[in-house]
Amino acid sequence: MADSLPHPRVPIADGEAGTADVAAFERDRRELLRRGFGLGGVAIAASSISLLWSVRTAFADSSTDVPIMQNLITLELSTVIAYDTLIDGGTLSPALRTVLRGFRAHEQAHADTLTTALTDLGGAPPPAPKGPAAVDKIVKGLGAVRSQADVLSFLIELETAGVAAYFDAMGRLGEARLLQTSATIMANEGQHLAILRRRAGRDPVPNAFETGEA
Amino acid sequence: MDLDHFLRDPQSRRRFFRMSGVSVAGASAVFLAACSDDTKNPVKIGPDESDQADVEILNGALDLELMAVAAYKASAPKLKGSALGIAKGFLEQEQEHADGLAAAIKAADGMPNRAKASYDFPVLRTQADALRFAVDLEHTAIAAYIDVLPKFSQNDLRATAASIITNEAEHLSVLLDALGRDPVPAAFVTGQAA
Repeated sequence: MADSLPHPRVPIADGEAGTADVAAFERDRRELLRRGFGLGGVAIAASSISLLWSVRTAFADSSTDVPIMQNLITLELSTVIAYDTLIDGGTLSPALRTVLRGFRAHEQAHADTLTTALTDLGGAPPPAPKGPAAVDKIVKGLGAVRSQADVLSFLIELETAGVAAYFDAMGRLGEARLLQTSATIMANEGQHLAILRRRAGRDPVPNAFETGEA
Repeated sequence: MDLDHFLRDPQSRRRFFRMSGVSVAGASAVFLAACSDDTKNPVKIGPDESDQADVEILNGALDLELMAVAAYKASAPKLKGSALGIAKGFLEQEQEHADGLAAAIKAADGMPNRAKASYDFPVLRTQADALRFAVDLEHTAIAAYIDVLPKFSQNDLRATAASIITNEAEHLSVLLDALGRDPVPAAFVTGQAA
């Protein structure tokens, strides 16, 4: 039924992956695992994958919401690190710094709420990501940001990746409460994107279906 | 009906959306439960497995989108400059949502609802009125989609609905910005006015 609606393509740090392709990969991998092969794990360990790809792997392996939540928390906390790094970087106008502080507070609130939901499910919070290297697993280039224009471009990429991660999670979460909470967060990331795009002189709302497509 | 009265009076708003054929407007019991403190007893997703249930939900969403298209058209005479450009772009995107929903309904052997011949919109006297009305409609749409999100039987439809919610939230930010308000007032976009 959904074939008439858009097939999103989701950006990841190592290039683009079509959701349909990812789904096919996951189906094949699960089938191999059922038949006793360890190919999926080996193949993944051997590749230089992004966090988003590993998020999808957790989704594919999981019959519960716990690993999905853990990966989303890692994503949010890594985004907080990026905002902290850029806010403290000294290249921002006072007005933009104020805006970014607000967005940073939103990302922390997302992480806090997801962590509470995770522990209520009986899951353990993931290890806290540390330093700019954690951000590189989502979008590379934080260390190369030099100007305010660079800041905006980088954050647009990062927020786009965030929307893509939640878009993927939407089809996999098993509980209504988590699904709805994640949708309210995905919508907030979209709002960040709209304002960042406008500040960068771009169309703030270029797509009728916001899937995290670059 | 005066816009200020419309926006202040919940009964007027409920009556308006009901008369406009919008069956999914407003916060639901599921969503309110999601916001409660009862985190030890989470609600499991329990969709009706039939395509027919999806069709009913999709038609409720389609009613909203068709009303939004009509509302943006009705607002246009009060808008000028960049605000008019914004509204035209958003109108096109609401129409894209409507077209996508109608196609999904047909693919499930359903019959898409049609737009009403007319909508009894409140009187919009100024550009600010038109923008405030659009803000209210976008809030309503977001709340409605979040309400029905877990009820879809197909995962793809949940994801697509979330992509529409996010687009409506982006509209909301641009409209709030045009009104000189905080464009991103809260970390969680629920469709409830901040």
